[in-house]
Amino acid sequence: MFLNQPYKSNLLSYHGPMTIDWISFMVNYIRDMVVAEQPVIKKLYKVFVELVQNVSFYSVDVRKNQVNPDCRRGTGWVIIDEDQKYFYVSTGNLIMATHGPILKKNCDEINSLDEEQLRELKRQTRVQSDVKDVGAHIGLIHTGIISGNPLEISISPVDNIYSFFRIGVKVDKTINN
Amino acid sequence: MKSLVINAEVDSPYYPEVNFDADTGICDISGESYMEEAYKFYLPLINWMKEFVLNEKKTLVFNVKLIYFNTSSSRLILDIFDMLKKFRDDGHKIKVNWFYDPDDPDVKDEVEDFEIESGMDIEMIKFS
Repeated sequence: MFLNQPYKSNLLSYHGPMTIDWISFMVNYIRDMVVAEQPVIKKLYKVFVELVQNVSFYSVDVRKNQVNPDCRRGTGWVIIDEDQKYFYVSTGNLIMATHGPILKKNCDEINSLDEEQLRELKRQTRVQSDVKDVGAHIGLIHTGIISGNPLEISISPVDNIYSFFRIGVKVDKTINN
Repeated sequence: MKSLVINAEVDSPYYPEVNFDADTGICDISGESYMEEAYKFYLPLINWMKEFVLNEKKTLVFNVKLIYFNTSSSRLILDIFDMLKKFRDDGHKIKVNWFYDPDDPDVKDEVEDFEIESGMDIEMIKFS
C-alpha cells in the first residue's frame, strides 16, 4: 500500500481537530505553496477538502468546542506527500467498528466502477441524501471521480467498539484530457 | 421586496458572496462554498428565490460563479436547480448561467451532472 512507501517528500502533516478555519488555511497553503499546473492544484485541494471534511464530520474522536458545546470537531490526521508522478493525500480517523464493513463495501464499489458509472452513482446518491445532513454522502465517490485513481483504504480494529480508518488517494501530476 | 446581499469575508472564505437583486432579478453567487452546515447558509437563498419568483413576476437570472464548492454545497445547489426547473415548467421566466474557470478540469462534468439530475438547462460561460 502506498501509504507505507518511504521515498516521498512530505508537504503537510497534521494530527488534531479538523476545524473549518484550519481547513481553509490549508487550502490557501496548497494554492500558494504547491508547485504544479493549476488543474492539478485544483484536483489536489478538492480531494484534500473532501477527505478532511469526512474526518471533521464523521470521526468519532471529537473535541468539543468549549464556547459552543454543540459544535463538534472530528479529530484525525492528514498527510500530503509527493513524488515525481503523484501527490498522495491520506487521512486517518477513529470510526465505530460497526461502520468498518459498510465503508469497505462502499470503497470496493467505488473502485470497481469506471468514471461514467461513478458519475451515475454520485447522481443517484446525491439526490437521495437529506439536505439537512452535514455531508451529501458522496464525498468518497466524488474523490474517486476527481482523482481518477483507486481509493486505498485500511481498517484496523482498536477494540470491540472502535476501529481506525485510513484512506489514501493519489492525484496525478499530469492530467490527460 | 428587499435584495439579498451577503458580502465575502476574509476571515471565512468558505462562504460565498451573494448578491440577489430584487430590482433586476439577477442573482449572483460567487467565490467558494465549503462551509460546515451548507443547509443553514443556502436555505435563506432558496426562500428568497421562491418569494421573488412567486411575487415579483420578473425574469430570474441565476449566475453561478463559484470557483470551488464541496459535495455538501452541491446538494443544496442541486436543490436550487430542482426548484428553478419546477418554476420554469410552471411558466415562470428562469435563466441559469454557470461561469466556469477553464483551468478547472472537472467543472464541465459537474455542471452536466446538475443538468441531468435537475432537468434544468444551464448555460456555461467561460470566466473572462
